Amino acid sequence: MKEQLEAIRLAAEKGVSAALDEKQIEELRVKYLGKKGELTALLKQMGSLSPEERPKMGQLVNDAKAKVEALITERKAKLKEKATELKLKSETIDITLPEKATDVGGLHPLSIVTNDLIDIFQSMGFDVLDGPEVETDHYNFECLNVPEDHPARDMQDTFYLADKILLRTQTSAAQVRTMETRKPPIRIICPGRVFRADEVDATHSPVFHQLEGLVVDKGVTMCDLMGVLEQFAHEIYGDSVNVRFRPSFFPFTEPSVEVDVSCTECGGKGCRVCKGEGWIEILGAGMVHPNVLRSCGIDPDVYTGFAFGIGIDRITTTRYKISDIRLLFENDKRFLEQF
Amino acid sequence: MKVSLNHLKRYVDINVSAEVLCEKMPLAGFEIESVEKKGDGIKNVVVAKILEISPHENSDHLQICQMDVGKNAPVQIVTGAQNISVGDFVPAALDDSFLPDGTHIVSGKLRGVESNGMLCSGGELGLTEADYEGAEVHGILILKGEQIPGTDIKEALGLDDTVIDFSITSNRPDAGSFLGIAKEISVVLDTEFKAPEISYKTVGGDIDDYISVSVENIDLCPRYMGRMVKNLRIAESPDWMKKAIISAGMRPINNIVDITNFVMLETGQPMHAFNYNDLKDKKIIVRNACEGEKIVTLDGKEFNLTGDMLVIADGKNPSCLAGIMGGKESEIEDDTTDLFLESAKFRRDSVRHTAHTLGIRTESCARFEKGTDINNVEYAMNRALSLIYELNAGDIIDGAADIHGDLPENRIIKTTTDKVLELIGVDVPKDTMVSILNKLGLETKLSGNEMTVSVPSMRDDVEGRADLAEEIMRIYGYSHIKGRPMRGEVTRGKILPEREKSNKIKSLLTSCGMREIATYSFINPAAADMLGLSESDERRNMIKIINPLGDEYSALRTQLVSSMLSVMATNISRKIEGAKFFEISKRFFGELPLKSQPEEIPTLCLGIYGKDEDFFTLKGIIESLFKLFGAHTRYERAAEPYLHPGRQAEVYANNTLCGTFGEVHPSVAEKFGINERVYVAEIKLDVLYGINRRKLVYKPLPKFPAVERDFALLADIDTPVGELQKAISSGAGRMLEKIKLFDIYTGSQIPEGKKSVAFSVWLRSAEGTLTEEQTESICSKIVEKLQKAGGELRK
Repeated sequence: MKEQLEAIRLAAEKGVSAALDEKQIEELRVKYLGKKGELTALLKQMGSLSPEERPKMGQLVNDAKAKVEALITERKAKLKEKATELKLKSETIDITLPEKATDVGGLHPLSIVTNDLIDIFQSMGFDVLDGPEVETDHYNFECLNVPEDHPARDMQDTFYLADKILLRTQTSAAQVRTMETRKPPIRIICPGRVFRADEVDATHSPVFHQLEGLVVDKGVTMCDLMGVLEQFAHEIYGDSVNVRFRPSFFPFTEPSVEVDVSCTECGGKGCRVCKGEGWIEILGAGMVHPNVLRSCGIDPDVYTGFAFGIGIDRITTTRYKISDIRLLFENDKRFLEQF
Repeated sequence: MKVSLNHLKRYVDINVSAEVLCEKMPLAGFEIESVEKKGDGIKNVVVAKILEISPHENSDHLQICQMDVGKNAPVQIVTGAQNISVGDFVPAALDDSFLPDGTHIVSGKLRGVESNGMLCSGGELGLTEADYEGAEVHGILILKGEQIPGTDIKEALGLDDTVIDFSITSNRPDAGSFLGIAKEISVVLDTEFKAPEISYKTVGGDIDDYISVSVENIDLCPRYMGRMVKNLRIAESPDWMKKAIISAGMRPINNIVDITNFVMLETGQPMHAFNYNDLKDKKIIVRNACEGEKIVTLDGKEFNLTGDMLVIADGKNPSCLAGIMGGKESEIEDDTTDLFLESAKFRRDSVRHTAHTLGIRTESCARFEKGTDINNVEYAMNRALSLIYELNAGDIIDGAADIHGDLPENRIIKTTTDKVLELIGVDVPKDTMVSILNKLGLETKLSGNEMTVSVPSMRDDVEGRADLAEEIMRIYGYSHIKGRPMRGEVTRGKILPEREKSNKIKSLLTSCGMREIATYSFINPAAADMLGLSESDERRNMIKIINPLGDEYSALRTQLVSSMLSVMATNISRKIEGAKFFEISKRFFGELPLKSQPEEIPTLCLGIYGKDEDFFTLKGIIESLFKLFGAHTRYERAAEPYLHPGRQAEVYANNTLCGTFGEVHPSVAEKFGINERVYVAEIKLDVLYGINRRKLVYKPLPKFPAVERDFALLADIDTPVGELQKAISSGAGRMLEKIKLFDIYTGSQIPEGKKSVAFSVWLRSAEGTLTEEQTESICSKIVEKLQKAGGELRK
């Protein structure tokens, strides 16, 4: 019987090792280990053995069963692995085929820049306000220290809608509205759309965007203005740029300055971008004119303040090196998709 | 303002190069518009004297010249020009020389004859007639007068000059003159300023014997001054004056006219010269024009005048448009013998109004419009007389007509050094402050911290401590300002709810794959016709711009759709296959004629096209948008003229109409140049912004399973699916989880005039698993409601 067991075990092992797929393995399992399997049959024949031999033989048969069982499991796993491998291989794809497009959409570059600016000033504690696009002469000029016959009105060509009603030429109009309703300390920005009667060309648009900033408090100086603009410039143009003030004239500020940053292209050495000057003009600013404070009911002997106006379109065109401002309003999808 | 650097040196020591000056002046408030260096690029071109001319044996037109170029031996140059003769002084470009256009001249042979250079025309040296008389003559430039051969041509022609165009800000008209800018330069460079010396002698007589001067409108003419000059000796002006005039962009004419122009350029005060003998009745009357009066100006144009225009009239007619241009009749001509000379102040808005109405721009009116100093009137007059005397251009009669009201006194500003520094935040030494102000002509006395500043009328712009701060800083240097970080409470700034909501919308739309666009706020009013808006449509009442850039941009928009259609048309015409666009902007509505600020309605416009898009893409986006605001939506058929009559809807948020959307009417699309199906929506955002959304609270996930039941229905073909859906919803009540339409079918096996509609309905209870009986009871209620709505269960 021992020989018989050995023969069965060897045959089973041989069979399992040679099995080519799970179906064959299953047949072998039935053949040897099933209810009517050959090893099971051997167990049934043990009745013919002596009581002493029975446990020994039983042990041997069970060992053989376990061995075959393990072999079957192992072989099965191996075959499965092989099958998977084959399947995966057959499923290999050409990864250079085109992707399935996911249209993610996106904001207009002017919005992207506006949001960046808002974020910078919000983090410095500026509230974000909005003002009407159609303004009265009163808010757009008069309260900003630009009386009727003032030469400053020559500087801007205004779109008029009716007597004393116009499309705002600057977000500064929002300054006055703010100071009329809020009392110092005031710290606000007002981003928005402004209008000037400029003929359309590569650098001029009758519709453009500004961000006005205003701070009014006791003891505010030009050093505070410089501090805020430096932080702004560093966030927009990088930490290494320098900021400088150049005297200028705006009717609503005194002193008035143009603000330059060292050229981001050449670092200030002078190049084509900065026309050899080493500096790029980025915005106008100044200390709020005492007349403006006064016209808003704020005592200029007690409070001082500063204001600045940033050209959003200009920052957008310089940031992305857009050579023609008209592209911003043409809305070619291939242009918009780049942002 | 253009000014010659060489000329400026008459008034101020300029101890730095033009380049350095151009770096320094912007930091003091005077930007440089342009710098023109005459003779740039000219190298090794000298004055040469023609010693001998002989014919070229191989050419009819070439001549061989022996030239004295200041060297030991003559130089031989071959030229094709015919306008030269022996003894002429001409420019000669020698071997290895350069012309302004970059041409390199070297020795060579011309038809076999050695030529060691080239004789130059004015054009080849980059000159125009304004630079040098005869520069544009055909042929070689013949230099005037006796010259020294070998002299650098730039020196001989006065090309060693630099003309700088300073930009003068509108608050500083006083700096817009040779003297004004020279004064500023002297302060910036800290060098001496030398005002021109004024002195002249008169020949006796009395102006009153010659002319009577009266001012009828002292309001528009606060000061009028006149002098008489007899026995004019009209001639050419001296070179220095002509050059100064040319470099400023004007043309020299004769000594008298040039003196008036030069004095204007030098002092900023426009002057006018009348031919005395043409003045009727020997009267000068400053008055308003009579309605219907006419004047022919110096340039020969005739103008009809109105009562609001100020003129200088003689006893009969207007003889000059005050501050703008003189009349042809009293023009100074070569044979004029006697002169009435005017220096006056006219109110700037009056000059601007008249010049603008008549469409005239002159150097004079530009200065009056910017504002002139009433106290400069007399100075300029004396300067002009001094030049007339110096140039011996006429005999000055004694006495002046000078009509004016009270002349302004110096403005006195009392403040403290602390008050001034408080604005700047920089500790400028007191002495420095005082010294800067004094140099600028703002006479300042200091006592302790108390400052007393006396401001002359020419610096009318200096009103208080802020102006003093600016004057000090622009000279002391803004580079002294060091940035200081924001102080005070450090909190993040707040944002208005509308902006926050608009940001939310933008973020939703971009995540739907939409691209934001930006278009102009003004449109062509013809858009109303292109969209087919009815005559009574309120969107036809567009607010018009009084001074538009053209019809195309002449009306504020009352709808965003036409801009969107134009953008889609552009993209389609560029063969871009599909796009989803949105814009958030304002629409403007106001009662016409406009009396107050119009209403600005924040509005969203959507525009989509492409092969996978349709009405329902748009509806899906709108549904998501309204869900974002927690709004309950309802759709009704709409009647927008620009939309497809069968494929458009109105959308309501919580029963308030918010907008319309749908497929664009093909004939409207065609008008915009679009030949495919495009879809637009216009949504008023104020309604959505106004919804106060309840605070978002999480709903627990379901614990019990849902039951799914399908309903296959037969309904009239006109029955809206939405009605059937509503019926299911009302039948299922609280147990309804979701309804999904999975099939609509018409055709074979469906009776004529009917359609088959199939829904899957999910029912779920929060309390427990629905039993068979519960489910059946709900379903029978659904069937009942469906029947009422016109949907029969298919057997």
